[in-house]
Amino acid sequence: MGSGRLRRIIAVATNTYRETVRERVLYNLVFFALVMTVSGLILRDLAVRQDDKIIKDLGLAAMDVFGTLIAIFIGVGLVSKEIEKRSLYPLLARPLTRSEFLLGKLAGLAFTLLVNLGVMTIGLYATLWAIRLRGALAAPPDAQLLVAVAAIYAGMILVLAVALLFSTVTSSTMAAVWTFALVVVGRYADVIRNMREVVPGVPSWLTELVYYTLPNFAQFDLKNRVVHGESVPLATLVLILAYSLSYSTVLLGVAALAFRRKDL
Amino acid sequence: MQSLVLENLTKTYRFGHLGRRSWTALEDLSLDVEAGEVFGLLGPNGSGKTTTLKAVLGLIVADAGRITVLGRPQSDPAWRAAVGFLPEHPYFYDYLTAVEYLHYAGRLNGMAAALRRARVADLLERLGLARVAHVALRRYSKGMIQRLGLAQALMNDPQLVFLDEPMSGLDPIGRRLVREEILALKRAGKTVFFSTHILSDAEALCDRVALLRTGRLVRTGRLDEILQMDVAHVEVLVTCLAAEVRESLVVRPRVCHVMGERCRLEVDEATLGELLTELTRKGARILAVQPVRQSLEDFFFREMGVTQGQGGWALDD
Repeated sequence: MGSGRLRRIIAVATNTYRETVRERVLYNLVFFALVMTVSGLILRDLAVRQDDKIIKDLGLAAMDVFGTLIAIFIGVGLVSKEIEKRSLYPLLARPLTRSEFLLGKLAGLAFTLLVNLGVMTIGLYATLWAIRLRGALAAPPDAQLLVAVAAIYAGMILVLAVALLFSTVTSSTMAAVWTFALVVVGRYADVIRNMREVVPGVPSWLTELVYYTLPNFAQFDLKNRVVHGESVPLATLVLILAYSLSYSTVLLGVAALAFRRKDL
Repeated sequence: MQSLVLENLTKTYRFGHLGRRSWTALEDLSLDVEAGEVFGLLGPNGSGKTTTLKAVLGLIVADAGRITVLGRPQSDPAWRAAVGFLPEHPYFYDYLTAVEYLHYAGRLNGMAAALRRARVADLLERLGLARVAHVALRRYSKGMIQRLGLAQALMNDPQLVFLDEPMSGLDPIGRRLVREEILALKRAGKTVFFSTHILSDAEALCDRVALLRTGRLVRTGRLDEILQMDVAHVEVLVTCLAAEVRESLVVRPRVCHVMGERCRLEVDEATLGELLTELTRKGARILAVQPVRQSLEDFFFREMGVTQGQGGWALDD
């Protein structure tokens, strides 16, 4: 990739990040802080001995939900909003290709999600340390939480790639509907695979095809394993990251193809 | 040298289910723009002006035809660094300030930071936006946004500037400012290609114009040639011409328009000498004598084959 191309992608990404910050997307962190504080206070009053597991579970779930919602609802507007408002016109008249624009938009929102997730992770660890300082937690919080967080981030990138693809081919509203539907279906991928048990008439090749074609969001969920102390091998995490990266690359390629000759 | 050449450009929009319905926005459009000239693309709403600009800039894909920009085929991205574009009804990110947006535009053009800073300061000053340089664009008026649009189009000091309805939404001061900018570009040897349906702007600025109607080229030519055609009348501005004298003129003017103490008479060229003699003899003071040229507006309506006030026409904002 040439330095000019990289500089243009970074310029688009920086502007996308700035947009999310100025549009107060990161305000969800306030809700996260609220969830952590309130749950910490409630659990202290209830004196539950397993409060660290509940805090971890709540924290990771909140990260997952907030991150996915941001990826969907900001992601679907990344391109379609630019087309609808025509803010794209003066940009594409410059030496900026449509593929560079897409990559820049994806990178910008991916960075926003990273910052968001990073701050929430720090918040979760801070809450756990606060509990430990109160004497309610024997062992310090371990690094396994980071494995679950990394898997959540990999899932968000894939959600973002799905949203970006729909954003290039349809309106913001329809892109949100399609992305949301695909994320929900992908989270219950195992149900599709086991559909033959519920509906015996469905041919196995069809369920297998759907199962392997649709993005499998269920595998990004390592929360339960980590919260219950199960050690997740590094190889599993690498596979999850590779899956997200390769699937996202394919989706981005399709989006670039669809966008290349689209009349604006 | 030609800055822009369009050859047999055709664009049909398809819509409806499976694209079974279609609408031809451009049909076999060919024209060329010389380097250093101000070229006006005229036509009523829906005539294909914006489609032409979009096709040139690659925002839409033409079905047929060839486009050459600054001597390079449209598919070669090298020309893009040397052009600027102001879209019609522009929208810029309202969470940014003018300074931030112009820096963003400059970065996309690969401009170094020091050059960007100097250029941003100069453009904001020239276009009267220095006072609001650090105000979020969501607080800008329509006219201010339009001026910012012009600033971003000029950010990379382009050789060829495309302006789609550049006077749209501007007050008289803003309109004059944009006119001056276009003339300054011409003086600097730049090429300006702009679309408008405001004929007075085209008349004041363009070296050549092209007239579009329903996606087809009706006429193209030098403005002075077009407007010199059919000069058959002369306008005489007089004062001290009493009403009874006016009524008793032997040479009857084609038009007689009284404006307070002054009177504007329009006569055929052949009877001018006779009228001037009679006016002088009857004590009128002749203030000015000048030929009545055909206005672009007259030309426009004649070429379009419609009369003023017919549907879809706007002569001025």
